[in-house]
Amino acid sequence: MSDGPLIVQSDKTLLLEIDHDQAAECRKAIAPFAELERSPEHVHTYRLTPLGLWNARAAGHDAEQVVDTLLQYSRYAVPHALLVDVAETMARYGRLRLEKHPVHGLVLASNDRPVLEEVLRAKKIAGMLGNRIDDDTVAVHASERGNLKQALLKLGWPAEDFAGYVDGEAHAIALDESEWTLRAYQREAAESFWHGGSGVVVLPCGAGKTLVGAAAMAHAQATTLILVTNTVSARQWKDELVRRTSLTEDEIGEYSGTVKEIRPVTIATYQVMTTKRGGVYRHLELLDARDWGLIVYDEVHLLPAPIFRMTANLQARRRIGLTATLVREDGREGDVFSLIGPKRYDAPWKDIESQGWIAPADCVEVRVTLPTSERLVYATAEPEERYRLASCTHEKVQVVRDLVAQHAGQPTLVIGQYIDQLDELAEKLDAPVIKGETPVKERQRLFEAFRTGEVGLLVVSKVANFSIDLPSAEVAIQVSGSFGSRQEEAQRLGRLLRPKEDGKTAHFYTIVSRDTVDADFAQNRQRFLAEQGYAYRIVDAEDLPA
Amino acid sequence: MSTRDDAGFRSLADQLRSWDDDRLAGLLVARPDLTTPAPHDFGQLASRATVRASLARALDTLTRLELSVLDALVVAGQTTATDVRRIIRAEPAAVDATVARLLDLALVWETRSGLRAVSGAADALGTGPGASGLRPRSAEPLPVREVTRRLAAVSPAARAMLDHVADHGGEATAGAARLTVLPEDAATPAEELVSRRLLVPRAGTTGTVQLPGEVGLALRGGRTTTERVDVVPPLATAERSADLVDRAAAGAAFELVRRVELLLDHWGSHPPGVLRSGGLAVRDLKTVTTLLSVDQPTAALVVETCQAAGLLAGRAGTNGDPVWVPTDAFDTWLDEPPAARWVTLARAWLDSPRLPGLVGTRDEAGKTWNALAPELSSYSMAETRAGTLAALATMPPGTVLAATTGLPSLVEQVAWHRPRRPRSRTQQVAWTMTEAAGLGVTGLDGIASYARRLIGAGDPEPGLAALLPSPVDHVLIQADLTAVAPGPLESALARSLQLVADVESRGGATVYRFTPSSVRRALDVGWTAVELHDFLGKVSRTPVPQPLTYLVDDTVRTFGTIRVGTAESFLRADDEAALSELLHHPKARGLGLRRIAPTVVVSTTPVDVLLPRLRELGAAPVVEAADGTVQVTRPDALRARSPRERGPSVRSVRESARVASVVAAVRSGDRAASARPTAPATPLTPSGALAALREALESGTTVLIGYVDNQGVSSDRVVDPISVEGGSLTARDHRADDVRAFAVHRITTVRPLSGT
Repeated sequence: MSDGPLIVQSDKTLLLEIDHDQAAECRKAIAPFAELERSPEHVHTYRLTPLGLWNARAAGHDAEQVVDTLLQYSRYAVPHALLVDVAETMARYGRLRLEKHPVHGLVLASNDRPVLEEVLRAKKIAGMLGNRIDDDTVAVHASERGNLKQALLKLGWPAEDFAGYVDGEAHAIALDESEWTLRAYQREAAESFWHGGSGVVVLPCGAGKTLVGAAAMAHAQATTLILVTNTVSARQWKDELVRRTSLTEDEIGEYSGTVKEIRPVTIATYQVMTTKRGGVYRHLELLDARDWGLIVYDEVHLLPAPIFRMTANLQARRRIGLTATLVREDGREGDVFSLIGPKRYDAPWKDIESQGWIAPADCVEVRVTLPTSERLVYATAEPEERYRLASCTHEKVQVVRDLVAQHAGQPTLVIGQYIDQLDELAEKLDAPVIKGETPVKERQRLFEAFRTGEVGLLVVSKVANFSIDLPSAEVAIQVSGSFGSRQEEAQRLGRLLRPKEDGKTAHFYTIVSRDTVDADFAQNRQRFLAEQGYAYRIVDAEDLPA
Repeated sequence: MSTRDDAGFRSLADQLRSWDDDRLAGLLVARPDLTTPAPHDFGQLASRATVRASLARALDTLTRLELSVLDALVVAGQTTATDVRRIIRAEPAAVDATVARLLDLALVWETRSGLRAVSGAADALGTGPGASGLRPRSAEPLPVREVTRRLAAVSPAARAMLDHVADHGGEATAGAARLTVLPEDAATPAEELVSRRLLVPRAGTTGTVQLPGEVGLALRGGRTTTERVDVVPPLATAERSADLVDRAAAGAAFELVRRVELLLDHWGSHPPGVLRSGGLAVRDLKTVTTLLSVDQPTAALVVETCQAAGLLAGRAGTNGDPVWVPTDAFDTWLDEPPAARWVTLARAWLDSPRLPGLVGTRDEAGKTWNALAPELSSYSMAETRAGTLAALATMPPGTVLAATTGLPSLVEQVAWHRPRRPRSRTQQVAWTMTEAAGLGVTGLDGIASYARRLIGAGDPEPGLAALLPSPVDHVLIQADLTAVAPGPLESALARSLQLVADVESRGGATVYRFTPSSVRRALDVGWTAVELHDFLGKVSRTPVPQPLTYLVDDTVRTFGTIRVGTAESFLRADDEAALSELLHHPKARGLGLRRIAPTVVVSTTPVDVLLPRLRELGAAPVVEAADGTVQVTRPDALRARSPRERGPSVRSVRESARVASVVAAVRSGDRAASARPTAPATPLTPSGALAALREALESGTTVLIGYVDNQGVSSDRVVDPISVEGGSLTARDHRADDVRAFAVHRITTVRPLSGT
């Protein structure tokens, strides 16, 4: 029996004891093939998934390496079935290859004939293939490259894509590193993406994903289409690109609900891309408007389903996905893998935090007790009303006031889900509010004012969840959320994690009503962060220092 | 007893008679079918040993080399050991050892003029494995030199024809060829061969010629085979650190023990039904796969191993239908350390004839094989397992089977050791490898160091115990409300933790998750908040995180807000005073009244008793509801008796005792036969018999009596009379080697035996 830091469970979870001497070394060794599932303070949990193993295969690791790593670091004997499973799963990747044939164009090739036969007999695939060229090769309709990859993944025989990429229209882009430098991990991320061809880079919020995108563009030296979640974030991308690269404002176009510019670098929102009029997507032609050499997907975990379908047709172009997490609430991780590409880079939050790139956070859950009258209303309310009732209790207003007072002088965000509640809070706190109906101009003005310190307190709705850079925020108070989305919790905390000038700790408060569904949902949401190593403290509202 | 060439015996029976008891016992152990029923004498033993069915069974246990040697003896006819050595393509020492073994098995015996295969051997060998395809030598074989000379003389066409005949069964139809012709007159190659006596007409037939053994031998360079027969096919191996192999295997071993425990624990309270055909339903097996999170073949293996180890058996369930439940042996098993538990399981698997590999596949009739189905076994499976492991054990530590070529080479080697085993062997060896890996006997296709002891001498337990995780006494509690036990917990601690937290992941380590409901569960069985905090503080090696402390306190806060109790009846009145009056009535004391609210009183007295008593006290109650109380009880965990399957050691003791008694019986029977006077004795009257017996008793002589038993069967017995009383003879019966009583009126003859 050795004394390794790793315990391999038969349910394919790996437990890594992080206080162990070899923990760091082991983490590095297993990171390429195991997905970090949670990282609380003592024992991190990784999981072996087919996607993770295929990601590792795509990155050039083989099954024997994986098995040896497990055996080497494992404290106890490793379950045999698991080793067999690892080997079998990894062997499935790359049995089929998508290649460019000098005569027949795109072909599906294999040197494992039974696999090819099995796949050819699958009904879902039949329509995507052309003629059989020889025993080991089948022609593929060029337009089905993405769909085929998606379908093959579902069959459990993911294909390796060697068919290459079009170069796209050349356009000079360089990083302008006169006043700043690319951080080591950003450089590494961009490079591993470039060598891999296409794929996803996983970095925590605030770790500078935009710059990884910019670095990728500098590698590509070609016209680029950037897809982002919303208009505000589109503007931020633009500002950042103008500031950090050789690109000028004239070279960058915005393609959104209000503006429709097509320039060498075009930033489009998911929303405009997925807008339908008369049953058809109106803006699909944007994808073919130029010969794009690179497509950047911001916040891949939010990529809406229609974009997946469009992406299936873009397989000949290089694609980079940027995200804080591969976890998708809708479970479409497989589509990300087959359509955008395997994971090319991943760094755990805590590691980046300890390198000083993101701010440490102090998370506190404050529990308020509903007054008896509200409890009675809550107890007799319809189930679908309960969450709103519990979230919007007036008790929370007082707590928010106390907290704001406690952190007077620090830039503070109050985040909520329900507009009525936000309006009430804004009024009581005498602070501006940003919600869905606030015009983009006004939003930008307020955000700018917040950034400069002109406004010290903002009340925001879920519109601020994503991609809005508020590096100065030090305190966030969450009064309600959308039914326990773990993802949302991560994003909201992300608002705070931009590094502070003096290394100050950020504070993240969640206010929940005790003994209600609000508390249940809150627990769900926290789980994600607790698992990321951010320990929650739970205090009763009465115990808060007044 | 001698094995010299010039010695020899008149018959096989004669040879057997000359053997000492140990050697006889060895024969009976190796060929157990000879002992049932016990043969009367050596003549019968010898004749039984040459019966076709018995020979076939004996041949099934021979190796390729042994079969080839036997075949050579058939080809050679009666011959000398030197000749045998010469015609077999193998090391002379190996041939000698093999001949000795064939002698021990009574497949070959020593005549006055050399070794000879028993008469049925040729038929039994047939054209199966080991048979060279050569015909026996002719009665007066040509000398080797002459055969070689004649072979050299034939024309190329004739030589080609001869080679063809030799390779295709050694027999051919003569067709138009003349069978009596001189070499000079031969017109065709066939006639040429016949004329030179390289092909001879087959006795008793017309138109068929065959290749005499000596010619066949000459064609193959004087040997029965063209390739060596004493070379065991080598295993295709690869290098792999012995340490890794051990750890992979021990991992599987630990998993097996854990799975068996989990499964049987579950079935103790939720037993699955026994199918009418005796198996386990497919649906129930599916449940097992989910419970253990394994695939179906592994689930079948676990279930079958449980049964083989006597930990699982069928018994009548609560509603009378048979169910599969753990046996009481399971409880004993649980008390042992994990390594000992594994040894029990692995040994049971090794000896088991069961075929878990078939579960889920379909039989010829298209019916799916169910796990635990009684007919799911094969007599050769245990032997295949032993043979496979023995072959694996020949690999030195640090080597494992090669990835793709390993299994075929293993099949080949196992086949060399038992060439006559059935067609399904390839499958059985493959199953054995899969099962061995699943059980932790092998890891990474190499045999684990501790598992070598499983087939050889010694105890695998200490070796395995060193590889298994040692129990830990602490957990790591984390802010996401999980606790990780970084190894198997001490059992008391594990039980407590399972109470206060839910198990989320099992394996070498266990992950527990605290939830409000798990904490409540602990409170339900009487833990207090202080006890919970103390417990967590004690078992956690790290500080207990604040959210967990908060969770416990928060759960305690709401615990018991609603109280539930039992009462036989209740009394309700809007008039509080009326209830107060009743409560304070001196005669109401025995009614067990308790006020739980101003207007509600409960009583421990049933309504039908309470009602008349209240009326006696002057109240005028009415019955509001006639609702009884519901009693909830948890059903006991069920256990069946362990099947009375005996371990291999007990079996072997019994077997050797049995063999010894058979040897004694054969010997005495043989004496009875040999001592039998040539002239039939005249039947005696009972009084004559009595007299003769008394005389024998007085003189202390052994007598041969004719006796008619209960079934009317007459037999001869050799007995030493002990007493004659009340019409009954008490005597020691040599055949049974025991004291028996014989009715005097059934004794037909009494003859003293000479020489004793």
